[in-house]
Amino acid sequence: MELSRLPAYLAGRLVKAAIVILAIVVCNFFLIHAAPGDPASIIAGQSGSADARFLEQLRAQFGLDQPLYVQLWLYLKGVLTLDLGFSHRQQASVASLVWDRLPATLLLTGAAFVFAIVLGVTMGALAARRVGTWWDSIITVLALAFYATPLFWVGLMLVLLFSVTLEWLPSFGMMSVGVEMSGIGKVLDVGKHLLLPALTLGLFYVAVYARLSRATMLEVADQDFVKTARAKGVPEGRILRRHILRNAMLPVITFAGIQAGQLIGGSILVETVFAWPGIGRLAFEALLARDYQVLMGVFFCTSVMVVLFNLITDLLYAVVDPRVEVS
Amino acid sequence: MTRLLTVENLTVGLPQGADRPHAVEGLSLHVDAGEILCVVGESGSGKSITANTVMGLLPKLLPVRGGSITFEGEDILALSEEAMRDRRGRRMAMVFQEPMTALNPLMKVGDQIAEALAVHGRGQDAAKRVPELLAAVNLPDPASIARSHPFRLSGGQRQRVMIAMALALEPALLIADEPTTALDVTTQMQILRLVREIQSRQGMGVMFITHDFGVVAEIADRVVVMQHGRIVEQGAAQQVLNAPQHPYTRALIAAVPHGDAAARPAVSVQPMLEMKGIEKTYHRGGWFGPKATVRAIHSADFTLFKGETLGLVGESGSGKSTLARCVVRLVEPEKGEIIFAGEDLRPLSRAGWLPYRKRIQMVFQDPYASLNPRRKVGDAIAEGPITHGVDPAEARARAAELLRLVQLDPSALERYPHEFSGGQRQRIGLARALAMQPELLIADEPVSALDVSVQAQVLNLLADIRKRLGLTMLFITHDLRVAAQICDRIAVMQRGAIVEIGSTAEVFGAPKHPYTRALLDSIPGQGWTPPDLSRSA
Amino acid sequence: MKTFWRNFARNRGAVVGLVILVLVLIVALTAPWIFPGSPWDMAGAPFAPPGEDGMLLGTDSLGRDVAAGIAHGARVSLLVGAVSTVVSLVIGIGLGAIAGYLGGWVDDVVMRFTEFFQTIPSFVLAILLVAIFTPTIQSIVFAIAVVSWPPVARVVRAEFLSLRSREFVQASEVLGKSRISIVLGDILPNALSPIVVLSSLMVASAILLESALSFLGLGDPNMMSWGFLIGSGRSVIRMAWWMSVFPGIAIFLTVLSLNLVGEGLSDALNPRLARNRGGKP
Repeated sequence: MELSRLPAYLAGRLVKAAIVILAIVVCNFFLIHAAPGDPASIIAGQSGSADARFLEQLRAQFGLDQPLYVQLWLYLKGVLTLDLGFSHRQQASVASLVWDRLPATLLLTGAAFVFAIVLGVTMGALAARRVGTWWDSIITVLALAFYATPLFWVGLMLVLLFSVTLEWLPSFGMMSVGVEMSGIGKVLDVGKHLLLPALTLGLFYVAVYARLSRATMLEVADQDFVKTARAKGVPEGRILRRHILRNAMLPVITFAGIQAGQLIGGSILVETVFAWPGIGRLAFEALLARDYQVLMGVFFCTSVMVVLFNLITDLLYAVVDPRVEVS
Repeated sequence: MTRLLTVENLTVGLPQGADRPHAVEGLSLHVDAGEILCVVGESGSGKSITANTVMGLLPKLLPVRGGSITFEGEDILALSEEAMRDRRGRRMAMVFQEPMTALNPLMKVGDQIAEALAVHGRGQDAAKRVPELLAAVNLPDPASIARSHPFRLSGGQRQRVMIAMALALEPALLIADEPTTALDVTTQMQILRLVREIQSRQGMGVMFITHDFGVVAEIADRVVVMQHGRIVEQGAAQQVLNAPQHPYTRALIAAVPHGDAAARPAVSVQPMLEMKGIEKTYHRGGWFGPKATVRAIHSADFTLFKGETLGLVGESGSGKSTLARCVVRLVEPEKGEIIFAGEDLRPLSRAGWLPYRKRIQMVFQDPYASLNPRRKVGDAIAEGPITHGVDPAEARARAAELLRLVQLDPSALERYPHEFSGGQRQRIGLARALAMQPELLIADEPVSALDVSVQAQVLNLLADIRKRLGLTMLFITHDLRVAAQICDRIAVMQRGAIVEIGSTAEVFGAPKHPYTRALLDSIPGQGWTPPDLSRSA
Repeated sequence: MKTFWRNFARNRGAVVGLVILVLVLIVALTAPWIFPGSPWDMAGAPFAPPGEDGMLLGTDSLGRDVAAGIAHGARVSLLVGAVSTVVSLVIGIGLGAIAGYLGGWVDDVVMRFTEFFQTIPSFVLAILLVAIFTPTIQSIVFAIAVVSWPPVARVVRAEFLSLRSREFVQASEVLGKSRISIVLGDILPNALSPIVVLSSLMVASAILLESALSFLGLGDPNMMSWGFLIGSGRSVIRMAWWMSVFPGIAIFLTVLSLNLVGEGLSDALNPRLARNRGGKP
């Protein structure tokens, strides 16, 4: 797309994103009310404070005795002011709980994503380049194996290998306990703790991107314009970089957007296995305690993350592909 | 005349399981500077493979098993990959068939031409050369075209860009693999003239691959005819065109639709179909963006008389297919009247159309998409009558008869479409349409996707059946030569409107509208009348 | 039919996958005979390593036989995988067919709805659904189905859109066939291949999803499943590695075989695509 049209495109996509987020909030609302039983006791959760007076308080607070549309409006108002409720178990607002843990999750998913894309695309490109040879077979088999292993099990196996048996890497947490570090020391410490979790989360997606890039590169390599480039006398290396790779990356960008939701969902499992202090672990703890307010908050937060990430990938795609129109 | 290219006894293999052992066998031909050699053949003849072998672009699956290729004095089969790459683009260049997919969609057109220069060390000339090259292929506003991406250009424009790119380093040999097959007739003529002009200006040797003898007549100096991987005849163009020796060449030339615009006896004056005031507009674009309105049909009134064959002729985007599809309710126009046997069909509901389905039927263009691959041929033909209440056993008996009528063996009833060739599938499609015993048959480009020799057979079959069953036919085509052969009257369409309508003789002999004249002018090889080969040599 | 099996067999990985899958099915079916009684019963001393006391794969913290757990767990996982896939298919094919065949605003609405569902992180939604509706086999199947249908709808819609304007479908319209008979007789049989391939992959991902839910403690408390086994082994991994390793291998083999079979199906149904997939003539 011509860069001058980009702001208009961005504006359009922001409007769409806002609509989607609104829809998610409404969805959230109806989930509480779809559950069997008294919404008040669901909101109170099994946090042990299910006495009648407290439930009455909740009902009044949420207007649960008022018509549905009023409740919806109250809920919407709350969300718009970033009031996502209050967790009685943790005695803190949901918003603050989520906000505290968000950076850790962003670090983990970010690292996993970068790892997955870089390794995945490299493997896929290599397999496509040497299609039909041993390299191709090995990479394809590896990709298939990574794809078939459950995320949490890989995490446990890696812990078993690197933490328990070899004792090379720490098995839980984001930082070493009891030791105060700063500067480079802190970065390295976090890095050591980050290695296994990021590897675990990313491994599945390495397979996904490897398979996808291999397929798209083979498909693009077969297309007419590649033959034209060869007929012009363009050397193979340049053909790969300027002609094949660029065109093959378009579906990968699209797919990355679609996979974003899965990646964030997977972080719940990884954070649980490695006790990583992110919102995934927050969700797991809330699950154990049946603290639905927090769960909803995590759901909302992760959905917003996905929407924003999709926005970024859409923009990236629009910049790379001139055929995208502002409409 | 310097000899540019000599191919001596070339044999290229095919992978196991193909219908013959070699793609090309014992091939010998040559191209001199300053001449245009046309390589003619149908699909599967090996002409593209020959071109690809010369350029060194053969896929690894197809090994060269024998022979030699000498270009500018060098044996290019013995050259290293790097040496070959150096010559590609610089000394020999190639233009391909499909302009819509032959350019990198993500790179600007100017950059792609500049790349051709850059990889041969002439990158610094790009700023000057690119606009020159684009102007040399008669593209208007070269600067703006250079800044555009391919998707903004039409097919004809893209093909010109391909030619400009091929000529960037002034190669001695240009190989053109069916470069005009995917283009409109008028665009094709422009490109043919461009190739001839450039060739004579720069004294290049050109190897031009085509399946159309009209194109051969238009530009060839010498001709090579290929069949099943071998050369069956070669010689000077005049020689081969007017006195062909080999039976295959004779068959191909006999199959060229001859614009036999001889006066035809007038048919009855009883109108069967009247199209009045039909309008169809397509809206593109969404809620947030620019809207585009395409008036597919806006001024296309005509009357079809009982027993006649009316041709709807036009290029892509003319609306001829859309108009034909209105007659069978595959497209629903917003306004107008479709009067068939006195009744206006347009306002009828889906149920209201049912009785008319028996009377109006259609034959489609793509033989590979017009039959359900999972249905046996017999079932496909019998489906229609069974839907309208005919007893299944009787419908199948009728199906067997129809297969005989279209000159296919009734054993085809139990077979699947993929077991048949393109021409045979079109016959099956015809049988399916005839099973309903229609009065009006609409043929939507029924032979455009077929090889030339098969085209002639199917056209003859259509003419024969039309006479036997007394059918009225609406025949859609982009090829005026085909229209001349089979139609009584012709309606010429351009951008949604019928610009001229009259008897075949009138339209060909005394065209009134400038577009008709342009179309007639674009028929390749007009100066050549195919010889009468009805008597064997 | 014979050509189908021939093309399938050409993919050696697919054949291996089929063999493994059949073995898993056999274990699942014969579990009540090979390991009679309930897998929840204590069978031996706690934390017995594999091979000791006749426990092939060891015992867990309560002395339960891990091998029995895996065998019975196979039934649960395969059942959940299959049923949730069927439900997903019904929803996805229904919506996709409507959107693809009718087009226009119906298509727009269905597509927005599908896109919305794909934006929501599916695993989080599944957790939420199972938590809210309390974990039972039914709620798990429901939750998995609800988050898995969007890809089916997309594929079916794409196929229908493409087939709707294919000439043989148009020919059927011109012949006067009814809409239902066109959808069922012409479009659907030709749209089946991608759906068949997709189903195999969906069962695989349903099994992964179910095991993840069980791992987090959201499994049906009455059913022993592979995820639960791994989850219960998590905290004692230093002492009893076998509790986590073997069920994981079971999941891995099952999912792998389903993926391989899926690829084999794809090759068998689209032989031309298989040849182009790379390298092999």
